[in-house]
Amino acid sequence: MKLRSVLLVSLVVLISAIAFSGVVNIWSWRSQDADVWKQVESRLRAQGYDIKINFTAYAPTEYDAKVNLALQTGTGPDLVYSRRLPGGRTQTLIDNGLYLALPDDFDLSNFPQAVLNSVTSGGKVYGVPFAVQVVGIFYNKDYFDQFELSIPKTWDELVEVADTLQKNGITPFFVPGKEAWALTMQHAMCGVSVLGPEWIKDLTEGKTCFLDVKFVDLNRKLNDLKKYYQDGFMGNSTNDLNAAFAFGQAAMVFYGIWGYQTWHELNPDLRVGYFMVPPANECQEPYAYTYMDGAIALTSNVKNREDSLKVLEFCATPEFGTIFSNITYNIPAVSGADLPDLDILKVAVDTYNNHASPYVYWVGSVFVTQKPSLYTDVLSPGMQAMYSNKLTPEELARNAQEAISQWYEPLMKK
Amino acid sequence: MKLAKRYLLLFVLPALILYTLFIIYPLINSLFLSLYSWPGVGEKTFVGLDNFRKVFSSGAFRNEVFNAFWHNVYFYILAASIEIGVGFFIALMLASKIKGARMFRNIVYIPNMIPLVLVGFMWSLYLNPQVGLVNQFLKLIGLGGLAQSWLGQESTALTTIILVNAWRNIGFYVLVLLAAILDINPSLLEAAYIDGASNWKIIWRIIFPLSFSTVRTLAILLFIWSFNVFDMIYALEGVQAGPYRSTDVLGTLFYRTAFGGLGSSAIDMGLGATITVFIFAIIMPVSIFYVYLVEKRQRSA
Repeated sequence: MKLRSVLLVSLVVLISAIAFSGVVNIWSWRSQDADVWKQVESRLRAQGYDIKINFTAYAPTEYDAKVNLALQTGTGPDLVYSRRLPGGRTQTLIDNGLYLALPDDFDLSNFPQAVLNSVTSGGKVYGVPFAVQVVGIFYNKDYFDQFELSIPKTWDELVEVADTLQKNGITPFFVPGKEAWALTMQHAMCGVSVLGPEWIKDLTEGKTCFLDVKFVDLNRKLNDLKKYYQDGFMGNSTNDLNAAFAFGQAAMVFYGIWGYQTWHELNPDLRVGYFMVPPANECQEPYAYTYMDGAIALTSNVKNREDSLKVLEFCATPEFGTIFSNITYNIPAVSGADLPDLDILKVAVDTYNNHASPYVYWVGSVFVTQKPSLYTDVLSPGMQAMYSNKLTPEELARNAQEAISQWYEPLMKK
Repeated sequence: MKLAKRYLLLFVLPALILYTLFIIYPLINSLFLSLYSWPGVGEKTFVGLDNFRKVFSSGAFRNEVFNAFWHNVYFYILAASIEIGVGFFIALMLASKIKGARMFRNIVYIPNMIPLVLVGFMWSLYLNPQVGLVNQFLKLIGLGGLAQSWLGQESTALTTIILVNAWRNIGFYVLVLLAAILDINPSLLEAAYIDGASNWKIIWRIIFPLSFSTVRTLAILLFIWSFNVFDMIYALEGVQAGPYRSTDVLGTLFYRTAFGGLGSSAIDMGLGATITVFIFAIIMPVSIFYVYLVEKRQRSA
């Protein structure tokens, strides 16, 4: 009888624990993060928090519309992956109270101010940043060793490297021309080094414009480089890029550090190196295009505020960064994490900390916040058209000027 | 009689409610939304006919809209020629009593059952410029000179997508046309044969005229689908409809305008709704004209 009572009580306790344990729902566009949240859940449970995390990932192209709709109809999750600021979408959600600011006493001491700037609006912080991205040129170390190539310091040296590789029967660059965003990213990462941050600052302030000879020259440089791309590159996607680069079908790619996870999965023996796009001449410093990728934000639909804040608090610790980077090979936004022992990650982190361009014109720039956007409406179709000989470098520059000067005041009357 | 009408209304009511809720209301809502600028959240800004001015007066957006519109027109013409034209001849062949006809009917319909996402993925692989099946096959049969970047160049991208679309959908058209052909009274065909008519004469003078009403119905359905096409372009070229908008249709332009591309790109639901109104303004008159034609034909029959 006594045993039966004990069993009954235990059962009741167990059922109660399951029924009343805190469920935190999280939505994201990053399906690769699923295992991160499994580990976060087990760590929190180990710390005595009875929290269950439900993680759901949606297609990146559909994600923002889904979040907008769900939050307005009250069917959204507790936490969402939010896009960075400045950005029209995130700002609108903040302005309409659908993203909630973190409490004033929330500990964000593990984040550099530059990272927090990308989640701050009106002096309040909206979300805990999860990753920073570094884009540039990733190369196959074996090919560079084989042909005794060194990391190019100028654009001309980059062309020489490509030339040597091509003469030796290696495709120098694999470019996914079918995916316009990747071409825009290529333009932007070359821009921060070839044009330099000062030029982009002048552009942002309206002291120069897209018609400037430097911008036209960058377009020309990129157009001239296409003879080193794989045949039929305009029909290739980023999936093709991942496979081709992982299996040594090309020596270099213009890409982001997030690609390493896939390359490593496809070919663990691949030795990958990274360098910043070299500047136009030796007098200029090279710069890298880096940006805070996104944050985990508290929504107005939150049903389990206490546990959601507990999850967010964990996300702001180096422990979360360690889990995150060891699973995804991405650079965590939080400082102090133990990253996997990979040279490529160390180089990327060093680049982020010491060589990030302070001025940019792709993700995270003012030029993509209105329509026509430099990203979606100008460079995406424009780069494809230029690479297909349907647009000259000068025409691409003129298109950029005409589009952005429609709404960006500093560039009007140029 | 009054009682019958009451019951009639009772039976119609559920469908009427659903139709109003999911068709009429969104339609009217789109019309109202097209008068606003709205990022999808928060207050809508009334802009009157400004969105329509962007669509119809000169400017970059107008160029995008009409570029997409002409691609829809091309899509319809080519898709109709293949899916209905070629579909009719396939249906004719399948209607003949050859050995294994039933198996061939099933084979023709198989692509229609493959989910679109899979079709997009599959054909992306087949059309890969370096290792894709299509180029490899051309090289194998000595036509390597024809191998190219099918989805990466303006001259071939849209036509390639339409052909993939036809590959997937032709089974449906064949099935419907086959039913129409098999519905023809066999005695008519037998009489024609006895009178010494050739196969071509029988096809053009008997089979085609008697299945024409089906062809016309399919043509109008294809017209509506062609102006609503989005999924196949999205699956093979993404929302940017590259290269440089050469595969852009009104559906992808609507999506890009209303929901943006990736990340932080600007969005305008109001302007997007204006494109849907434009699509509606194209489809509706043609559909009404078709219904009028059918009614007229039935009255005169």
